[in-house]
Amino acid sequence: MDALIIEKTTDTPRIVLDPLNNLYEITDRSLPEDANGFYAPVFQWLTSFLDKPENKIQFSFCLEYFNTASAKQIAKVLLFLEKLSQKSEVKILWKYKKDDTDMQAAGIRYSKLLNVKFELLEV
Amino acid sequence: MAKVSHLAGNEQHSNLDFGFKLFQGMQKDNLGYIYRGMFTQTITDSIISLAETNLETTGESPKVKKRVFSILVECLQNITRHQTEHGDEIKDTDNSGIFVIQKQENSYYITTGNVVQHTAIPKLSSQLEKINSFDPDELKEYYKKILEDGTLSDKGGAGLGLIEMARKSGNKLSYEFAKINDVYSYFYLHAAISKEVDSTPVVIDLENIKNLHQIVNEEEILLVFNGVLNQDSLLSLLSIIEGQIAHDVDMRKRVYSLIVEMLQNIVKHAIKYKENETTIGNPGIFFISSKNDYYTLSTGNYIETIIVDELKSKLDHVNSLVGDELDLFYTKRLLNFEIDNSKEAGLGIIDLRMKSGNKLEYNFYKIDDKVSFFTLQIKI
Repeated sequence: MDALIIEKTTDTPRIVLDPLNNLYEITDRSLPEDANGFYAPVFQWLTSFLDKPENKIQFSFCLEYFNTASAKQIAKVLLFLEKLSQKSEVKILWKYKKDDTDMQAAGIRYSKLLNVKFELLEV
Repeated sequence: MAKVSHLAGNEQHSNLDFGFKLFQGMQKDNLGYIYRGMFTQTITDSIISLAETNLETTGESPKVKKRVFSILVECLQNITRHQTEHGDEIKDTDNSGIFVIQKQENSYYITTGNVVQHTAIPKLSSQLEKINSFDPDELKEYYKKILEDGTLSDKGGAGLGLIEMARKSGNKLSYEFAKINDVYSYFYLHAAISKEVDSTPVVIDLENIKNLHQIVNEEEILLVFNGVLNQDSLLSLLSIIEGQIAHDVDMRKRVYSLIVEMLQNIVKHAIKYKENETTIGNPGIFFISSKNDYYTLSTGNYIETIIVDELKSKLDHVNSLVGDELDLFYTKRLLNFEIDNSKEAGLGIIDLRMKSGNKLEYNFYKIDDKVSFFTLQIKI
Protein backbone atom coordinates (compact mmCIF):
# COMPACT_ATOMS: atom_id res chain seq x y z
CA MET A 1 0.00 0.00 0.00
CA ASP A 2 1.24 3.50 -0.82
CA ALA A 3 2.47 5.68 1.98
CA LEU A 4 0.56 8.74 3.17
CA ILE A 5 2.85 11.56 4.16
CA ILE A 6 1.54 14.97 5.23
CA GLU A 7 4.16 17.60 6.03
CA LYS A 8 3.73 19.79 9.09
CA THR A 9 2.57 23.41 9.01
CA THR A 10 2.28 26.01 11.80
CA ASP A 11 -1.02 24.53 12.88
CA THR A 12 -1.07 20.95 11.62
CA PRO A 13 1.13 17.95 12.46
CA ARG A 14 3.43 15.86 10.34
CA ILE A 15 1.80 12.53 9.58
CA VAL A 16 3.64 9.52 8.21
CA LEU A 17 1.83 6.29 7.38
CA ASP A 18 4.42 4.24 5.55
CA PRO A 19 4.07 0.40 5.46
CA LEU A 20 7.14 -0.05 3.26
CA ASN A 21 9.43 1.49 5.89
CA ASN A 22 7.27 0.29 8.76
CA LEU A 23 6.86 3.85 10.03
CA TYR A 24 3.64 5.18 11.47
CA GLU A 25 3.67 8.47 13.35
CA ILE A 26 1.92 11.74 14.13
CA THR A 27 4.22 14.50 15.40
CA ASP A 28 4.42 18.25 16.29
CA ARG A 29 1.36 20.47 16.76
CA SER A 30 -2.25 19.98 15.85
CA LEU A 31 -4.63 22.93 16.07
CA PRO A 32 -6.42 23.17 12.74
CA GLU A 33 -9.69 25.08 12.63
CA ASP A 34 -11.30 22.20 10.75
CA ALA A 35 -9.89 19.11 12.42
CA ASN A 36 -12.47 16.84 10.75
CA GLY A 37 -11.36 17.94 7.33
CA PHE A 38 -7.68 17.73 8.14
CA TYR A 39 -7.85 14.16 9.47
CA ALA A 40 -10.26 12.88 6.78
CA PRO A 41 -7.45 11.56 4.48
CA VAL A 42 -5.92 9.77 7.47
CA PHE A 43 -9.14 7.82 8.11
CA GLN A 44 -9.53 7.10 4.44
CA TRP A 45 -6.03 5.62 4.42
CA LEU A 46 -6.57 3.67 7.64
CA THR A 47 -9.84 2.23 6.32
CA SER A 48 -8.10 0.75 3.28
CA PHE A 49 -5.20 -0.37 5.44
CA LEU A 50 -7.58 -2.30 7.68
CA ASP A 51 -8.40 -4.56 4.72
CA LYS A 52 -4.84 -5.77 4.26
CA PRO A 53 -2.73 -4.74 7.21
CA GLU A 54 0.88 -5.55 7.97
CA ASN A 55 1.57 -8.17 10.64
CA LYS A 56 3.32 -5.94 13.08
CA ILE A 57 2.73 -2.22 13.56
CA GLN A 58 4.19 0.31 15.94
CA PHE A 59 2.30 3.59 15.84
CA SER A 60 3.99 6.62 17.49
CA PHE A 61 2.53 9.87 18.71
CA CYS A 62 4.90 12.65 19.64
CA LEU A 63 2.87 15.80 20.02
CA GLU A 64 3.74 19.05 21.73
CA TYR A 65 0.24 20.44 21.64
CA PHE A 66 -3.22 19.69 20.27
CA ASN A 67 -6.54 21.50 20.50
CA THR A 68 -9.75 19.83 21.67
CA ALA A 69 -11.01 19.38 18.12
CA SER A 70 -7.84 17.39 17.38
CA ALA A 71 -8.22 15.48 20.67
CA LYS A 72 -11.35 13.86 19.24
CA GLN A 73 -9.63 13.00 15.99
CA ILE A 74 -6.70 11.46 17.86
CA ALA A 75 -9.16 9.41 19.93
CA LYS A 76 -10.68 8.21 16.66
CA VAL A 77 -7.27 7.19 15.28
CA LEU A 78 -6.57 5.28 18.50
CA LEU A 79 -9.89 3.46 18.37
CA PHE A 80 -9.05 2.50 14.81
CA LEU A 81 -5.77 1.06 15.98
CA GLU A 82 -7.58 -0.89 18.67
CA LYS A 83 -9.76 -2.41 15.98
CA LEU A 84 -6.67 -3.15 13.90
CA SER A 85 -5.14 -4.99 16.85
CA GLN A 86 -7.66 -7.81 16.28
CA LYS A 87 -5.87 -8.56 13.00
CA SER A 88 -2.28 -7.47 13.60
CA GLU A 89 0.15 -7.04 16.43
CA VAL A 90 -0.28 -3.36 17.32
CA LYS A 91 1.75 -1.29 19.73
CA ILE A 92 1.07 2.37 20.45
CA LEU A 93 3.95 4.50 21.58
CA TRP A 94 2.95 7.79 23.20
CA LYS A 95 6.02 10.01 23.46
CA TYR A 96 6.08 13.22 25.47
CA LYS A 97 8.84 15.64 26.30
CA LYS A 98 10.28 15.72 29.80
CA ASP A 99 8.17 17.98 32.09
CA ASP A 100 5.33 18.15 29.58
CA THR A 101 2.68 17.12 32.11
CA ASP A 102 -0.07 18.09 29.72
CA MET A 103 0.91 15.61 27.01
CA GLN A 104 1.75 12.99 29.61
CA ALA A 105 -1.73 13.30 31.15
CA ALA A 106 -3.32 13.12 27.71
CA GLY A 107 -1.43 9.87 27.02
CA ILE A 108 -2.55 8.38 30.32
CA ARG A 109 -6.13 9.30 29.59
CA TYR A 110 -6.06 7.67 26.16
CA SER A 111 -4.29 4.55 27.44
CA LYS A 112 -7.09 3.98 29.96
CA LEU A 113 -9.71 4.10 27.23
CA LEU A 114 -8.11 1.43 25.09
CA ASN A 115 -7.57 -2.25 25.15
CA VAL A 116 -4.36 -2.37 23.18
CA LYS A 117 -0.63 -2.41 23.92
CA PHE A 118 0.14 1.17 24.88
CA GLU A 119 3.47 2.51 26.07
CA LEU A 120 4.16 5.99 27.48
CA LEU A 121 7.66 7.19 26.84
CA GLU A 122 9.41 10.32 28.12
CA VAL A 123 11.79 11.63 25.48
CA MET B 1 -29.15 47.59 26.83
CA ALA B 2 -30.17 45.10 29.46
CA LYS B 3 -28.10 42.45 31.07
CA VAL B 4 -29.95 39.21 30.60
CA SER B 5 -28.11 37.12 33.08
CA HIS B 6 -25.81 37.21 36.01
CA LEU B 7 -22.47 35.80 36.77
CA ALA B 8 -21.44 32.55 38.26
CA GLY B 9 -20.45 33.01 41.89
CA ASN B 10 -20.98 36.00 44.11
CA GLU B 11 -17.80 37.95 43.56
CA GLN B 12 -17.69 41.27 41.83
CA HIS B 13 -16.52 40.86 38.27
CA SER B 14 -16.14 44.41 37.12
CA ASN B 15 -13.68 43.19 34.52
CA LEU B 16 -16.47 41.53 32.57
CA ASP B 17 -18.29 44.81 32.19
CA PHE B 18 -14.96 46.34 31.43
CA GLY B 19 -14.62 43.91 28.51
CA PHE B 20 -17.88 45.02 27.02
CA LYS B 21 -17.03 48.69 27.58
CA LEU B 22 -13.65 48.24 26.00
CA PHE B 23 -15.32 46.60 23.01
CA GLN B 24 -17.77 49.47 22.70
CA GLY B 25 -14.99 52.03 23.09
CA MET B 26 -12.92 50.34 20.46
CA GLN B 27 -15.86 49.95 18.09
CA LYS B 28 -16.70 53.62 18.47
CA ASP B 29 -13.39 54.76 17.09
CA ASN B 30 -12.97 51.64 15.01
CA LEU B 31 -9.82 50.67 16.82
CA GLY B 32 -8.24 47.53 15.45
CA TYR B 33 -5.85 46.54 18.12
CA ILE B 34 -3.73 47.79 20.90
CA TYR B 35 -0.47 46.28 21.93
CA ARG B 36 1.19 47.38 25.13
CA GLY B 37 4.56 46.21 26.32
CA MET B 38 8.11 45.84 25.20
CA PHE B 39 8.57 45.60 21.48
CA THR B 40 10.95 42.86 20.42
CA GLN B 41 11.74 41.75 16.90
CA THR B 42 9.51 38.67 17.18
CA ILE B 43 6.61 40.69 18.51
CA THR B 44 7.06 43.34 15.86
CA ASP B 45 7.07 40.68 13.12
CA SER B 46 3.92 39.09 14.50
CA ILE B 47 2.14 42.44 14.74
CA ILE B 48 2.99 43.01 11.11
CA SER B 49 1.68 39.61 10.06
CA LEU B 50 -1.46 40.16 12.13
CA ALA B 51 -2.04 43.41 10.30
CA GLU B 52 -1.39 41.61 7.03
CA THR B 53 -4.05 39.02 7.80
CA ASN B 54 -6.53 41.71 8.70
CA LEU B 55 -5.85 43.72 5.58
CA GLU B 56 -6.41 40.51 3.59
CA THR B 57 -9.78 39.87 5.18
CA THR B 58 -10.97 43.40 4.48
CA GLY B 59 -9.96 43.08 0.85
CA GLU B 60 -7.89 46.24 0.53
CA SER B 61 -6.16 46.93 -2.77
CA PRO B 62 -2.47 45.94 -3.00
CA LYS B 63 -1.56 49.62 -3.24
CA VAL B 64 -3.27 50.56 0.02
CA LYS B 65 -1.89 47.46 1.72
CA LYS B 66 1.63 48.37 0.71
CA ARG B 67 1.33 51.90 2.04
CA VAL B 68 -0.23 50.86 5.34
CA PHE B 69 2.47 48.29 5.64
CA SER B 70 5.49 50.45 5.10
CA ILE B 71 4.24 52.99 7.63
CA LEU B 72 3.48 50.23 10.08
CA VAL B 73 7.05 49.06 9.83
CA GLU B 74 8.45 52.58 10.30
CA CYS B 75 6.27 53.18 13.36
CA LEU B 76 7.21 49.91 15.00
CA GLN B 77 10.89 50.41 14.31
CA ASN B 78 10.59 53.86 15.77
CA ILE B 79 9.40 52.36 19.03
CA THR B 80 11.98 49.57 19.16
CA ARG B 81 14.72 52.08 18.50
CA HIS B 82 13.65 54.48 21.22
CA GLN B 83 12.35 52.26 23.97
CA THR B 84 14.72 52.13 26.90
CA GLU B 85 14.90 50.64 30.32
CA HIS B 86 14.17 53.37 32.81
CA GLY B 87 15.06 51.58 35.99
CA ASP B 88 13.37 52.54 39.21
CA GLU B 89 12.60 56.09 38.24
CA ILE B 90 9.37 55.00 36.68
CA LYS B 91 6.77 52.37 37.51
CA ASP B 92 6.96 49.26 35.36
CA THR B 93 3.36 49.62 34.37
CA ASP B 94 4.02 53.08 33.00
CA ASN B 95 7.11 52.04 31.13
CA SER B 96 5.59 50.36 28.15
CA GLY B 97 5.10 51.41 24.63
CA ILE B 98 1.72 51.30 23.00
CA PHE B 99 0.75 50.62 19.45
CA VAL B 100 -2.74 51.24 18.11
CA ILE B 101 -4.15 50.75 14.66
CA GLN B 102 -7.56 51.95 13.58
CA LYS B 103 -9.54 52.24 10.40
CA GLN B 104 -12.09 54.82 9.43
CA GLU B 105 -14.11 55.17 6.26
CA ASN B 106 -11.25 55.95 3.87
CA SER B 107 -8.15 56.07 6.03
CA TYR B 108 -6.00 54.05 8.32
CA TYR B 109 -4.48 55.53 11.45
CA ILE B 110 -1.49 54.31 13.33
CA THR B 111 -0.62 55.69 16.74
CA THR B 112 2.40 54.86 18.80
CA GLY B 113 3.26 55.97 22.29
CA ASN B 114 6.53 55.57 24.11
CA VAL B 115 8.37 57.00 27.07
CA VAL B 116 10.87 59.79 26.49
CA GLN B 117 12.83 62.07 28.79
CA HIS B 118 11.61 65.66 29.03
CA THR B 119 14.97 66.76 27.73
CA ALA B 120 14.27 65.05 24.40
CA ILE B 121 11.06 66.96 23.82
CA PRO B 122 12.43 70.20 22.31
CA LYS B 123 14.44 68.34 19.68
CA LEU B 124 11.61 66.00 18.77
CA SER B 125 9.14 68.88 18.51
CA SER B 126 11.38 70.93 16.30
CA GLN B 127 12.09 67.96 14.04
CA LEU B 128 8.38 67.26 13.70
CA GLU B 129 7.51 70.93 13.14
CA LYS B 130 10.13 71.11 10.44
CA ILE B 131 8.85 67.95 8.72
CA ASN B 132 5.28 69.17 8.90
CA SER B 133 6.20 72.52 7.35
CA PHE B 134 7.45 70.93 4.13
CA ASP B 135 5.46 70.12 1.03
CA PRO B 136 6.10 66.69 -0.58
CA ASP B 137 8.92 67.94 -2.83
CA GLU B 138 10.68 69.76 -0.02
CA LEU B 139 10.33 66.67 2.12
CA LYS B 140 12.03 64.58 -0.55
CA GLU B 141 14.89 67.08 -0.78
CA TYR B 142 15.27 67.18 2.97
CA TYR B 143 15.35 63.38 3.09
CA LYS B 144 18.13 63.28 0.51
CA LYS B 145 20.08 65.97 2.29
CA ILE B 146 20.00 64.10 5.60
CA LEU B 147 21.04 60.88 3.87
CA GLU B 148 24.00 62.65 2.24
CA ASP B 149 25.06 64.42 5.43
CA GLY B 150 25.08 61.08 7.15
CA THR B 151 24.60 62.66 10.55
CA LEU B 152 23.07 59.74 12.37
CA SER B 153 22.08 59.93 15.99
CA ASP B 154 23.44 57.37 18.42
CA LYS B 155 20.12 55.54 18.13
CA GLY B 156 20.74 55.04 14.45
CA GLY B 157 18.29 57.62 13.16
CA ALA B 158 18.38 61.23 12.09
CA GLY B 159 14.69 61.69 12.15
CA LEU B 160 14.78 59.66 8.93
CA GLY B 161 12.07 57.38 10.26
CA LEU B 162 9.87 60.40 10.95
CA ILE B 163 10.51 61.80 7.48
CA GLU B 164 9.69 58.44 5.92
CA MET B 165 6.45 58.24 7.87
CA ALA B 166 5.45 61.71 6.73
CA ARG B 167 6.39 60.95 3.13
CA LYS B 168 4.61 57.62 2.92
CA SER B 169 1.48 58.73 4.71
CA GLY B 170 1.21 61.85 2.58
CA ASN B 171 -0.15 63.69 5.59
CA LYS B 172 1.11 65.80 8.45
CA LEU B 173 2.15 63.86 11.52
CA SER B 174 0.24 64.62 14.69
CA TYR B 175 2.01 64.33 17.98
CA GLU B 176 1.54 65.03 21.63
CA PHE B 177 3.40 64.69 24.89
CA ALA B 178 1.86 63.66 28.20
CA LYS B 179 3.79 64.14 31.40
CA ILE B 180 4.37 61.04 33.56
CA ASN B 181 6.64 62.49 36.26
CA ASP B 182 9.42 65.04 36.65
CA VAL B 183 11.71 63.19 34.27
CA TYR B 184 9.57 61.35 31.75
CA SER B 185 6.73 61.92 29.35
CA TYR B 186 4.82 59.84 26.87
CA PHE B 187 5.44 60.75 23.30
CA TYR B 188 2.42 60.01 21.09
CA LEU B 189 2.87 59.97 17.37
CA HIS B 190 -0.02 59.60 15.01
CA ALA B 191 0.09 58.95 11.27
CA ALA B 192 -2.92 59.03 9.00
CA ILE B 193 -2.87 57.11 5.75
CA SER B 194 -5.54 58.01 3.24
CA LYS B 195 -6.56 55.26 0.85
CA GLU B 196 -6.81 57.71 -2.03
CA VAL B 197 -3.73 59.84 -2.35
CA ASP B 198 -5.64 63.10 -2.81
CA SER B 199 -8.27 62.62 -0.11
CA THR B 200 -7.77 64.24 3.25
CA PRO B 201 -8.31 61.97 6.24
CA VAL B 202 -10.57 62.98 9.07
CA VAL B 203 -8.52 64.40 11.89
CA ILE B 204 -8.68 62.06 14.87
CA ASP B 205 -8.47 63.35 18.37
CA LEU B 206 -5.63 61.70 20.28
CA GLU B 207 -7.54 62.17 23.55
CA ASN B 208 -9.38 58.84 23.24
CA ILE B 209 -6.15 56.95 22.64
CA LYS B 210 -4.47 58.69 25.58
CA ASN B 211 -7.37 57.60 27.76
CA LEU B 212 -7.18 54.07 26.46
CA HIS B 213 -3.48 54.00 27.14
CA GLN B 214 -4.17 54.97 30.72
CA ILE B 215 -6.81 52.25 31.02
CA VAL B 216 -4.60 49.51 29.58
CA ASN B 217 -1.78 50.64 31.86
CA GLU B 218 -4.00 50.55 34.94
CA GLU B 219 -5.52 47.21 34.06
CA GLU B 220 -2.10 45.94 32.97
CA ILE B 221 -3.49 44.79 29.68
CA LEU B 222 -0.90 43.34 27.37
CA LEU B 223 -2.88 43.24 24.22
CA VAL B 224 -6.29 44.07 22.87
CA PHE B 225 -7.37 42.67 19.57
CA ASN B 226 -10.60 43.90 18.10
CA GLY B 227 -11.35 42.63 14.66
CA VAL B 228 -12.06 39.72 12.47
CA LEU B 229 -10.98 36.43 13.95
CA ASN B 230 -9.98 33.57 11.75
CA GLN B 231 -7.33 30.89 11.93
CA ASP B 232 -4.65 33.17 10.45
CA SER B 233 -5.21 36.02 12.89
CA LEU B 234 -5.32 33.44 15.69
CA LEU B 235 -1.88 32.14 14.72
CA SER B 236 -0.39 35.66 14.61
CA LEU B 237 -1.91 36.49 17.99
CA LEU B 238 -0.48 33.31 19.43
CA SER B 239 3.00 34.15 18.34
CA ILE B 240 2.74 37.69 19.77
CA ILE B 241 1.58 36.29 23.08
CA GLU B 242 4.22 33.58 23.15
CA GLY B 243 6.80 36.34 22.91
CA GLN B 244 5.09 38.41 25.57
CA ILE B 245 4.54 35.94 28.38
CA ALA B 246 7.65 35.90 30.48
CA HIS B 247 6.88 32.80 32.47
CA ASP B 248 7.91 29.18 32.73
CA VAL B 249 7.10 26.73 29.94
CA ASP B 250 4.15 25.22 31.79
CA MET B 251 2.40 28.57 32.24
CA ARG B 252 3.09 29.55 28.66
CA LYS B 253 1.62 26.30 27.43
CA ARG B 254 -1.50 26.66 29.53
CA VAL B 255 -2.07 30.22 28.36
CA TYR B 256 -1.42 29.09 24.80
CA SER B 257 -3.97 26.30 24.88
CA LEU B 258 -6.58 28.46 26.59
CA ILE B 259 -6.22 31.08 23.90
CA VAL B 260 -6.55 28.52 21.12
CA GLU B 261 -9.81 27.19 22.55
CA MET B 262 -11.26 30.63 23.32
CA LEU B 263 -10.47 32.04 19.91
CA GLN B 264 -11.47 28.94 17.95
CA ASN B 265 -14.80 29.13 19.75
CA ILE B 266 -15.24 32.58 18.24
CA VAL B 267 -14.10 31.41 14.81
CA LYS B 268 -16.60 28.54 14.91
CA HIS B 269 -19.58 29.82 16.84
CA ALA B 270 -19.70 33.59 16.78
CA ILE B 271 -21.88 35.49 14.36
CA LYS B 272 -21.54 38.74 12.49
CA TYR B 273 -23.55 41.65 13.84
CA LYS B 274 -24.74 42.64 10.39
CA GLU B 275 -25.78 39.70 8.25
CA ASN B 276 -24.47 41.21 5.04
CA GLU B 277 -20.91 41.60 6.27
CA THR B 278 -18.58 39.85 3.89
CA THR B 279 -15.46 39.53 6.01
CA ILE B 280 -13.81 36.14 6.27
CA GLY B 281 -14.13 35.29 9.94
CA ASN B 282 -16.15 36.70 12.80
CA PRO B 283 -15.78 39.98 14.66
CA GLY B 284 -14.67 39.70 18.24
CA ILE B 285 -12.53 41.21 20.90
CA PHE B 286 -9.77 39.48 22.77
CA PHE B 287 -7.62 40.90 25.51
CA ILE B 288 -5.12 39.60 27.93
CA SER B 289 -4.00 41.20 31.16
CA SER B 290 -1.43 40.29 33.72
CA LYS B 291 -2.31 41.61 37.14
CA ASN B 292 -1.61 40.47 40.70
CA ASP B 293 0.33 37.42 39.59
CA TYR B 294 -2.28 35.89 37.37
CA TYR B 295 -3.23 36.20 33.75
CA THR B 296 -6.74 37.01 32.72
CA LEU B 297 -7.90 36.11 29.25
CA SER B 298 -11.09 37.68 28.00
CA THR B 299 -13.10 37.36 24.84
CA GLY B 300 -16.24 39.05 23.62
CA ASN B 301 -18.30 38.25 20.57
CA TYR B 302 -21.77 38.33 19.11
CA ILE B 303 -23.95 35.25 19.34
CA GLU B 304 -27.57 34.55 18.48
CA THR B 305 -29.88 35.59 21.31
CA ILE B 306 -31.77 32.34 20.82
CA ILE B 307 -28.82 30.23 22.04
CA VAL B 308 -28.07 32.34 25.16
CA ASP B 309 -30.01 30.14 27.60
CA GLU B 310 -28.51 26.95 26.28
CA LEU B 311 -24.96 28.27 26.38
CA LYS B 312 -25.54 29.60 29.89
CA SER B 313 -26.66 26.20 31.15
CA LYS B 314 -23.67 24.51 29.50
CA LEU B 315 -21.30 26.93 31.24
CA ASP B 316 -23.10 26.57 34.58
CA HIS B 317 -22.94 22.81 34.33
CA VAL B 318 -19.21 22.81 33.62
CA ASN B 319 -18.67 25.29 36.48
CA SER B 320 -20.57 23.00 38.88
CA LEU B 321 -18.24 20.04 38.24
CA VAL B 322 -15.15 19.44 40.31
CA GLY B 323 -12.11 17.16 40.15
CA ASP B 324 -12.93 13.69 38.82
CA GLU B 325 -16.36 14.76 37.66
CA LEU B 326 -14.73 17.09 35.17
CA ASP B 327 -12.38 14.38 34.06
CA LEU B 328 -15.20 11.90 33.49
CA PHE B 329 -17.25 14.44 31.62
CA TYR B 330 -14.26 15.25 29.43
CA THR B 331 -13.79 11.58 28.51
CA LYS B 332 -17.46 11.15 27.78
CA ARG B 333 -17.49 14.11 25.42
CA LEU B 334 -14.16 13.07 23.89
CA LEU B 335 -15.69 9.86 22.64
CA ASN B 336 -18.76 11.52 21.18
CA PHE B 337 -18.08 11.69 17.46
CA GLU B 338 -21.54 12.81 16.39
CA ILE B 339 -21.87 16.12 14.62
CA ASP B 340 -22.16 18.39 17.59
CA ASN B 341 -25.66 19.61 18.20
CA SER B 342 -26.01 18.20 21.65
CA LYS B 343 -27.25 19.98 24.71
CA GLU B 344 -24.07 19.18 26.60
CA ALA B 345 -21.02 21.40 26.75
CA GLY B 346 -18.39 20.77 24.13
CA LEU B 347 -14.88 19.62 24.81
CA GLY B 348 -13.56 23.17 24.35
CA ILE B 349 -15.49 24.56 27.33
CA ILE B 350 -14.56 21.61 29.56
CA ASP B 351 -10.93 21.98 28.58
CA LEU B 352 -10.99 25.71 29.45
CA ARG B 353 -12.38 24.93 32.90
CA MET B 354 -9.80 22.17 33.52
CA LYS B 355 -6.78 24.10 32.28
CA SER B 356 -7.59 27.34 34.10
CA GLY B 357 -8.37 25.56 37.36
CA ASN B 358 -10.95 28.26 38.01
CA LYS B 359 -14.60 28.78 37.26
CA LEU B 360 -15.42 30.33 33.92
CA GLU B 361 -16.81 33.83 34.30
CA TYR B 362 -19.23 35.06 31.72
CA ASN B 363 -21.93 37.51 30.90
CA PHE B 364 -24.48 38.15 28.18
CA TYR B 365 -25.64 41.53 26.97
CA LYS B 366 -28.79 41.49 24.92
CA ILE B 367 -28.54 43.81 21.95
CA ASP B 368 -31.80 42.87 20.28
CA ASP B 369 -34.01 39.81 19.74
CA LYS B 370 -31.56 38.33 17.29
CA VAL B 371 -28.16 39.30 18.58
CA SER B 372 -26.47 39.26 21.98
CA PHE B 373 -22.96 39.99 23.09
CA PHE B 374 -21.18 37.27 25.04
CA THR B 375 -18.14 37.88 27.23
CA LEU B 376 -16.05 35.10 28.69
CA GLN B 377 -13.22 35.54 31.14
CA ILE B 378 -10.70 33.05 32.38
CA LYS B 379 -8.16 33.48 35.13
CA ILE B 380 -5.03 31.43 35.23
